[in-house]
Parts: sequence; C-alpha cells; structure tokens
Amino acid sequence: MTDPNSPAPNPPASYETATERLETIIARLDSGQAGLRETLTLCQEGKVAIEVAAGELEAVDRGLEELRLDELIARLESGPATALAEGRDAR
Amino acid sequence: MIYESTVGVPDPPSALPGYPGPYPVGRYAAALRDRLRAFTHVAVEGEACGVRLGGGPNVYFELRDRDGALPCAMWRTDFDRLGLPEGALCDGTQLLAAGGLDFYPGGASASPRLQFRVRDLRLAGEGDLLARLARLRRELGAAGLFAPQKALPRSLLPRRIGVVTAPGGAARRDLVAGLERRGWRGTIVWADVPVQDRRAAPAIRRALSDLAGYAAVEAIVVCRGGGSIADLWAFCDEGLCREVALLAVPVISAVGHETDRTLIDDVAAVACSTPTHAAEAAVGVDCKRARGELLAGATRLEGLARGALAGRARALATASRAPREHAERERRALHQKAREMRAASARGVTERREFQRRVAATVIERKRIASRLSAAREHDALLTAARRLARAIARASERSAAALRGHAGALRAADPDRTLERGFALALDRAGEPLTSAAALRSAEAFELQLSDGRVPARIDPEEEPR
Repeated sequence: MTDPNSPAPNPPASYETATERLETIIARLDSGQAGLRETLTLCQEGKVAIEVAAGELEAVDRGLEELRLDELIARLESGPATALAEGRDAR
Repeated sequence: MIYESTVGVPDPPSALPGYPGPYPVGRYAAALRDRLRAFTHVAVEGEACGVRLGGGPNVYFELRDRDGALPCAMWRTDFDRLGLPEGALCDGTQLLAAGGLDFYPGGASASPRLQFRVRDLRLAGEGDLLARLARLRRELGAAGLFAPQKALPRSLLPRRIGVVTAPGGAARRDLVAGLERRGWRGTIVWADVPVQDRRAAPAIRRALSDLAGYAAVEAIVVCRGGGSIADLWAFCDEGLCREVALLAVPVISAVGHETDRTLIDDVAAVACSTPTHAAEAAVGVDCKRARGELLAGATRLEGLARGALAGRARALATASRAPREHAERERRALHQKAREMRAASARGVTERREFQRRVAATVIERKRIASRLSAAREHDALLTAARRLARAIARASERSAAALRGHAGALRAADPDRTLERGFALALDRAGEPLTSAAALRSAEAFELQLSDGRVPARIDPEEEPR
C-alpha cells in the first residue's frame, strides 16, 4: 500500500499500480484528513491514475487479434526487425 | 530326493516299503527352504488381492490371475523405498512383482509358510504412471521447482497472451469464450501443438520457449481437455516441467479435468481446472466491470474534490461567524451564572439566618440553664448571708442595748434636768439657748432661768453689779 501522503512524481506504470493508487487516494480523501493542498494534489494525481487505467483498458478493447506463433517465427526468420517491432508494438 | 541331494547323506533304511526315510521333519523343511530359495528369481504379473500393509516388518498380498495365485511378502523397507503414492497398492491393482520363492519352515509352535519374496514392484499400466508421477513430483518439489513460477509478477491486464494447445480443440473455444466474457479483446498468440503422443512434450517445450522469447507475451496458457493419465502424460514430462519452472513468463496450466493433476500444474504459476478458469486467471480483471468501476472512481474523485472545496468554504463562513457567536455564548453563560449566584446567595442568607437563630436559641437556653443554676446558688448564699446577718444584728442589738443602757445611765447622770432637780438653774436667752458665761448674761440683760419645775424671767441689775 502506498502512503497517500507521499507524492507520486511519476504516473503509474501499469493498470494494477494505477488502480491501487486510485483506491489509496480515494480512501485518503474519504477519511477527510487531507488538507486542502493535499486534496488538490491527490485529485490531480487521481486523474492521472484514471487516465493510465483507462488507457490500459482501452488497449485490450480494440478487438480480439489472433496471431499464430509459427507465422510470427517465420516472419522473424525472414526479417527479424519486422517481428520484433511487431512484438514491441503490442506492448 | 531333496534331503539326500541337499544334505548329501545316504538315505536311512526305509520304515515304509518304497519310501526312503523317515527323516526329521524340521531338517526336511529346512532343506526344502534351501531348495526353493535356489529357484531362479523372476518377475511375475497379476492382480493384487488381500493386500495387508499393516505396521509390521512385512507387506503381504496375493498375486492372482485366471489360472492361479501366489502368496507374496515384501520387506517393508523394500516397499517404502518404492515411494508409491498412498493407496497405490490395493486390491485389484495390476502388479509386476520381481523376486523368488521362499519357505518359512515354521517350528514346534509356528506354522510353515510358502511365499514369493518380492524384491521389487511395479504398478502396471496407469498405476505405474501414477507411481512415476509421484516420484517425479517429489524430485521436482525437492529441487525447489514449484516456487519460481509462483514468484513471478503477473499482470492483471495483459495485452498479449500466448496459448499452447491443440488446434481446433474444445479447450481453445472455451478459452476464447472465457476471455470474451471478461470483456478482454487483446492479442492472442496461438501455438498449435500435439497434446498427446510422444511428440507432444518436445513440441510444447519449444512453443513455450518461443512464446516467451519472441512473441512478447505477458502470460502463457497451456490447455488441454480431459483424458486418462496416459493421455495427459506429456504434461508430466520431466524436461517440459523443468523448462516451465524456469520460464520468465508466468504459465497458467489448464490440463485435463478437475480430478486430474499433472506435473505441469505443480510447476506452473497458476493451475486451473478448466480453460474458462484459465481465462479468468490470465486476465485478472473483468474488463467490463473495471470500466464501470473506473468511471465510478472518476466521479467519486471529482465529488470528493468539489466536496473538499465546498466543505472548506462552509468552514470559513462558519469561522467568520464564530467570534460573534462565541461572545453571545459567553454572555448567555455569564447571565446564567449571575442568576445562579443570586439564587445561591439568597439561599445562603436564609440558611445563615436560620443557623444563627439556632445558635442563639442554643446559647440562650444554655445561659438560661446556667443562670437558673446560678440563681439557685445565689439564693442559697443569700439565705446563708441573711441568716448570718440576722445573727449579727441580733448580736449587735444586744451589744447596742447594753451600750445604750450604759449611755442612758451616763446621760441620765449628765442630764441638766437631773442637775436642775438637784437645785441648779440654767440661764437661757430669749431663743432658749443656754447662756454659759457671765459675759453672755451681761450682754443678754434679760434672760430666763430654767429650774427643775419651770422657767423664771430674770434680769441683771446693773447697780448691783460689782464694778
């Protein structure tokens, strides 16, 4: 559990960290213990976390794509750069 | 003849015609044991029956088939060394038992027993596979290969999933359906492999390695429908399982049905009973619900931010009113205190008055009692004094009367009347005052002479006065 008081300078790197941070922020705000400045900072950070989580959800909502491993490998053998680029794009 | 050939002594003369002997039976039984033990050791096959594992030094069972049976005994140490899974040896199990004949000659109080002494044992068919699986499971577990996959971080929401399965199988459809139910529409990289014969294990190993190395997948699902342990044996392959254990990508296994547990289930990050469960394990969130929750979260966040500002504005407004309200509260409190004080002082005065009255009454009463006592004492004293006085007066009167009587005597002696009676006269002036000198008589000229029986006017005749 992240300390709600500690600033999170970087946006969350994954869906899990984003949702976890969002839950922490909401719990902190719900507690009513956050000061005004902290509230505004947390809201800002929460928006970033929501954007990250929404982006991740969107990435798995573009329509099911089905690839075949043997074709991928065949492409790799014919042109490694193509297949590697494709692999990287998918991430 | 057993006895002769073993012991090498000539037969004693026969007691019964046509039969050598008689021999002592114990010696004959011992010779028989030695002869039986010398039989070639073999492996025999049959169905276990009357299995008695017990707690003693031997495990007993019979091996039977359609044509006959053999009583078997196995030293417990030999049996335990096999490492058979619990319950693997039971009535009806098909066995391969290796060993040789043995004979226990008994004794005066023990019955003899013929048995096949089993030195090694294999469960035939499926039993054998289960035993091998148990052994492999122990070895891999001891090598710590069940842990690495479970320690790998797993993405809740992978974008790309590798799937190792048979082409066109039902498992494939179930997995896709499961992913769709999750609302997941990312990328699947299919690795089609044989899942049953001897080519299966090497093909699966290669597919796993390629998916992890080239396809940039975040999770790999290995799935296959149900079957016998022999059908699923590829997923118990030691090489495959060691490869899975050390793979850097989490593997989710869904091999066979719920009752089946292959070795890959032990080494995988997650073992699932069905492809549908594997889909849920691969995608940790229900994407549809997660979208809804995210929207709710965003709304909640906005509400909290707005609420925090509005709340503070209200707090500020309250704070601005606070001093006046505070003063008013203080004033009311002060009034209340004043009222209470007045009431208390009135109560105090009444109480004090009452108290003083009680004190005064007490004091007066005490004084009254004291004065009554004092008066009584005074009365007594007075009485005493009066008595003493009366006595004193009486005494004084007595004394006075005596003195008076003395004085009266003296007085009577000095009384002029008595002197007059004796013939003397008293010259008195006109005022009645005695004239006691010749000069006074001359100056008075006229006077009176008081005699005992009355007064006589008198006058000095100047002529007769000697010159």
